[in-house]
Amino acid sequence: MELITAFTGSLGYALLFHLRAGPIPAASVGGMVSWGVYLLSCHFLDGIFVPSFLASAFAALYAEILARIKKAPATIFYAPAVIPLIPGSSLYYTMQSAVQGNWAAFESYGALTAQYALAIAAGMSFIWALCHIQRKLAHRPSGK
Amino acid sequence: MNQNTDTFPAILHQLMELGEAMMASGAEVNRIEDTLNRLGKAYGAERMNVLVITSSIIITMVLPGGQELTQTRRILTPGGTDFTKMEQLNALSRQCCAHPLEADALGRQIRSICGNGLPRPGFYAGSILTAGSFTLFFGGNLMDAAIAMAFAVLVCLLQERLTPLCPNRIVFNLLAALLTGLGIGAAVHLFPILHGDKIMIGDIMLLIPGLAMTNSIRDMLVGDTISGIMRLIESLLWAAALAFGFMAAIWLIGG
Repeated sequence: MELITAFTGSLGYALLFHLRAGPIPAASVGGMVSWGVYLLSCHFLDGIFVPSFLASAFAALYAEILARIKKAPATIFYAPAVIPLIPGSSLYYTMQSAVQGNWAAFESYGALTAQYALAIAAGMSFIWALCHIQRKLAHRPSGK
Repeated sequence: MNQNTDTFPAILHQLMELGEAMMASGAEVNRIEDTLNRLGKAYGAERMNVLVITSSIIITMVLPGGQELTQTRRILTPGGTDFTKMEQLNALSRQCCAHPLEADALGRQIRSICGNGLPRPGFYAGSILTAGSFTLFFGGNLMDAAIAMAFAVLVCLLQERLTPLCPNRIVFNLLAALLTGLGIGAAVHLFPILHGDKIMIGDIMLLIPGLAMTNSIRDMLVGDTISGIMRLIESLLWAAALAFGFMAAIWLIGG
């Protein structure tokens, strides 16, 4: 069930972001599979940081590969794929606790949101850095 | 040669247009800087100094012969996300790097890409689908999802009609959350079998800047620290305004 709604959620966001019809299926499948990676790694690992990192890194790698095949910016595949991971609800609950003055809940939700956001951003930046290095290595002989 | 240098201000102006258009389509700061650097070099600049932050673009081009040319651009609208536009601008800049266009022609192309806004059917369908999906994702039932989808239409209408009236996104989020919250609260009052919290979280997913916050941290990690901090603070304030609006609605309905 979660996988299906992850798929339709990603699809919804792809439509919201005005993605062309062509890449939409690939981007929505990315959302489902990266959520699958998250669920699977939650099974084997403790906490949320490492699973989120892995799922985001997977989504980034998936996007980077598709981007090269289709000669399009990687973001258009990455953003929908990572949507199910985005800590939208915990960000909301963090701020809700702040508004209510419930500082204990604010702390725990805030820490959760920060972990998700950091892990997702780190997963993506990790792949970004690897791709950068790979590109530099690939272009070195012709560049000299 | 001299004539050649005279064309650079017009070219630089179009590069500014391109950068602004990319920002408005939701491109990352890092990508915009990279694109503008490449394009400037393709047009024959000896060196490009490009600084892009979410609220401004600054470029100094070093022309052949050592003369320097600077333009700046203030960016006021934060812009949404439009991947079709982003793809077209990306294709245009790739093509332009390979075969630089005249400044006029480049300007025309940029304007023709930016002319068409978000198509309404996609925007509405996307919002409805997203709200419904997330209501189910967070444990609501099908009835809750249906109501969340109905309120997604309201959120879309507010985004279209209310945004131009609001001075900024904090005010918009506050008002939109208040109105949506009141609507959902009223619906739950009429039909107590609904789960108000699940419906709200589905519709909140349309407004919550979760992606913006994650992107802001990504910006900082890849080295665009100023842009990242600006966006992080903005998205936290936007989220706080949302929470405040919904809380006010719950309080009004409950009390």
